[in-house]
Amino acid sequence: MAKYIDELTYDFARTVTPPVRETRIGVCSAYCGGCGQLTRDVKAGCAQLQSRKFAQSGGCQLNLALGIVSSFTNVVVIVHSPLGCSSNFLGSGGLRKTMRASKGKPAEEFIWLHTNMTEVDVIHGGLDKLRRAILYAETRYHPEAIIVANGCVPGIIGDDIDSLASELDGRISAKIVPVHCEGLKSRYVASGYDSAYHALLRHLADPIQEYGQVFPDEGRDALKRYNISRTVNIFNVGSNSSGDEAELSRIVASLGLIPRVLPLHASLDDLARIGEAALNVSICATHDDYLLGHLKERFGIPYIIDTLPIGIRSTNQWVREIAKFFGLEEEAERVIELENTQLQEALKPFRAVLEGKSVYVGGGELRILTTADFFARDLGMKLTGIKAHNVDRFVEDIIDDLFDPNLQITVAAGQPAEELNLLKKLKPDLYCGHGGANGWSSRLGIPSIPLYGQTLNYMGYLGAYELARKAAKALKNTNFSRNISRNVGLPLSKAWFESDTSDNIKQSELAG
Amino acid sequence: MTDFIERAKFACALGGAISTLEGLHHVVPIIHAAGGCANYLSNTYNVAAGYRGVGYCGGTMLSTSNIAENNVVFGGEGRLAEQIESTLFALDGDLYVVVTGCQVEIIGDDAVAVANRFKDRNVIGVSTPGFRGNALKGYDAVMNALVENVIEPAAAREEKTVNLFGVVPGQDVFFKGNLDQLKILLAKIGVKANTFFATGDTVADIRGYGSAALSAVLSPAAGLDPAERLCARAGIPYVNAELPIGPSGTESFLRQIGGALNVDPALIEAVIAAEKAEYYSFLERIVDIYADLDFQRYAIVAADSYYAHAITRFLANDLGWIPHLVAVNDIEEEDEQKLYAARFDDISSAAKPRVIFEQNAGLLLEHVRNSWPRNNNGKYYDALSPAYVVGSVIESSLAEKLGAGFLSVAFPVTNRVVLSKGYVGFRGALTFVEDLLTNLVSAR
Repeated sequence: MAKYIDELTYDFARTVTPPVRETRIGVCSAYCGGCGQLTRDVKAGCAQLQSRKFAQSGGCQLNLALGIVSSFTNVVVIVHSPLGCSSNFLGSGGLRKTMRASKGKPAEEFIWLHTNMTEVDVIHGGLDKLRRAILYAETRYHPEAIIVANGCVPGIIGDDIDSLASELDGRISAKIVPVHCEGLKSRYVASGYDSAYHALLRHLADPIQEYGQVFPDEGRDALKRYNISRTVNIFNVGSNSSGDEAELSRIVASLGLIPRVLPLHASLDDLARIGEAALNVSICATHDDYLLGHLKERFGIPYIIDTLPIGIRSTNQWVREIAKFFGLEEEAERVIELENTQLQEALKPFRAVLEGKSVYVGGGELRILTTADFFARDLGMKLTGIKAHNVDRFVEDIIDDLFDPNLQITVAAGQPAEELNLLKKLKPDLYCGHGGANGWSSRLGIPSIPLYGQTLNYMGYLGAYELARKAAKALKNTNFSRNISRNVGLPLSKAWFESDTSDNIKQSELAG
Repeated sequence: MTDFIERAKFACALGGAISTLEGLHHVVPIIHAAGGCANYLSNTYNVAAGYRGVGYCGGTMLSTSNIAENNVVFGGEGRLAEQIESTLFALDGDLYVVVTGCQVEIIGDDAVAVANRFKDRNVIGVSTPGFRGNALKGYDAVMNALVENVIEPAAAREEKTVNLFGVVPGQDVFFKGNLDQLKILLAKIGVKANTFFATGDTVADIRGYGSAALSAVLSPAAGLDPAERLCARAGIPYVNAELPIGPSGTESFLRQIGGALNVDPALIEAVIAAEKAEYYSFLERIVDIYADLDFQRYAIVAADSYYAHAITRFLANDLGWIPHLVAVNDIEEEDEQKLYAARFDDISSAAKPRVIFEQNAGLLLEHVRNSWPRNNNGKYYDALSPAYVVGSVIESSLAEKLGAGFLSVAFPVTNRVVLSKGYVGFRGALTFVEDLLTNLVSAR
């Protein structure tokens, strides 16, 4: 079966700014209906033209781009914008610390700067401040790279951060890496991944220069070539845990291959060696098709962008795809049989508790689809509905293959008002959702488990076990959400709860 | 002139406006900006203000016009009107406040005018673009809007009533606990405090704040503008006061506010005596451990102007710690810096603190090193030790490097969860001492 990704081209790395997802892929961000109708409407292109009357705040692509580039080791991040656009670092700086610790990386203080653009800078431009900030970062912290992310204001007024980067290039020792991630440019936050990877591709992926050897060592060279021919780059995402990375590495290693996890939390040296692999494997097309597509153009490394290895079926499929590439099908079947037998046995006590219980899953498209499939297929739970933040053509086959065409699906980034309206009617026994959504479900009295978490495991076989364990654990005591719902109100009106969610969706006057 | 900032401890004006609105009971913000601003900025305070959460209608629940690039070309006023209309349908509120982001201000949308079209349905508008300045500017803008559109000037005065300005929700991580305590404290001298954000305060209450006899501004960097406007509009005079922490601060606060409201001095003194007796009846518990284990510390305070002097005075004048260095991160004007530094004249310890104004969090370590002779491999060295850093969570690494004790009080606070706790008054100071000293014994 031809995959959607094969229709795409990856030749944007020479341009200063990346295209946004709206133009590159086409995205549906507002929908309410059945799974079958949605994929038909996405194929026809009309689902992508819908928007909503009452809108609630989703994400900003700057946040997602910063999440990636700020994870690199020994970098200073400068946000070129008015003060608010770096302010999430105030809350997330500690998470970076704990994530590094969980990966066994040495502690490192995260430094970010802010150009603090004011009304005066809006008129005169803010490049002088940015120049001073870059020089401050260089002289004070000597980072390997200074990453400059621009927000909406410099984007609108036309501050040219790239020419400033060229001006300073070579005059300071740090690499200057401009990231174009103005929130305004895209309603599809995943554009931020492309923005970050565009910067990585242009500035951080150059291979380390090899010098001729005084004493040639053919054995060593052959070993290096062999290692590269067995190396699999696994591309991590901001929402996975170190435990997930360890588990996926374990599975890849069990095939006799060499796993390497990139690019989040990597050093610049790791990134410069990104091309030293036989295969690039995605765990989420939403995150990294842009990076993997371009790495193929650049280094000729093939990629697998297929599914997210959550749940038994998806993990099996992920393993088979990798094995097929290396001609390791038999080994893969042996691994799968062993893992599946052990896991099915281990899941029994949880299945006994969860079978027949109803569940609603909301969040990023690939994660909810694979998670919901696991709940239904392997734990015997009843799906009452699913909600995807966005839907693009990467997942149309997955939806068609895995789900009842009549299953209720909404497409909404956040939008808790719509979701709570549905949940109040569907009354699932359990909710599994994205950060920022679970608290609203608690206020409605529905117990929840998070869809992802930095310290929680979801991926591979061990992750599937953890996910089932978490779901069963949540049902051992549901008093928290019960007490909250009885004592803490929701801001939504009676009229809203009586309305039909699909009435809030409208045809957009302009796409986007 | 403003410059870049290393690790600024603020969101922008829009962030401050959203945080302020989330602090008001049953108030619904409507954010006219790009779709991500509202949730992003709300999330800053949701997490970094001691896990304050999204409240009634914050975070992903925030209503936004979700402006995109096409609106920059064609304008976003039509979209805003549609969003206000749909918000009035979907969300229950006693007041709806339209606030704005950078994008729509640059393209010239008149959001306040659009909001005014819905005035009869409890909608007001205020301009709060991020480039206006830090979160405190957003607080001032929202409070100005309340002064001009919500607070009703009254003919009759409630004699013993004071409006409190300058306590910024989120930016003061302990705002609710502090305001609740201030209410209780002032009630003891017969004064009613109008607090905007304390437990039980409603929009209906705020409408009646125009009859207060006095306003008090508790921050040097926020609240003055709305207090001045309220003075002009409703004839309510204002005084600059300070967040009272512990006996010294609270005594002078009660005398100042009570005096301005003509409270019987005998009552004030009686209340102070009783409160102080209670305070020391509890503090007595730590006398032994303080003395036996030498819990006296060199204090390094890194905070905004709202907390810096208030904390330092408590540590030096009440707890007997040695005030060594105070770094204030939110005053830029030289005149205002001088004025603020003069507040430290009331530090009664033999050792006086060095007061510096530094916005760049990373430079604090260097300031500390320059404040004390270095150890040149001498056998005998009078070290800056034992030391204790009271700052934001960003200073935790400074404390680590100095081998100092550490407590996060100023924003951001992510290493502890804050619910009803506050540090003001006599009671709050006891909580403060508990937290300070707990960190010295927590490894046991």
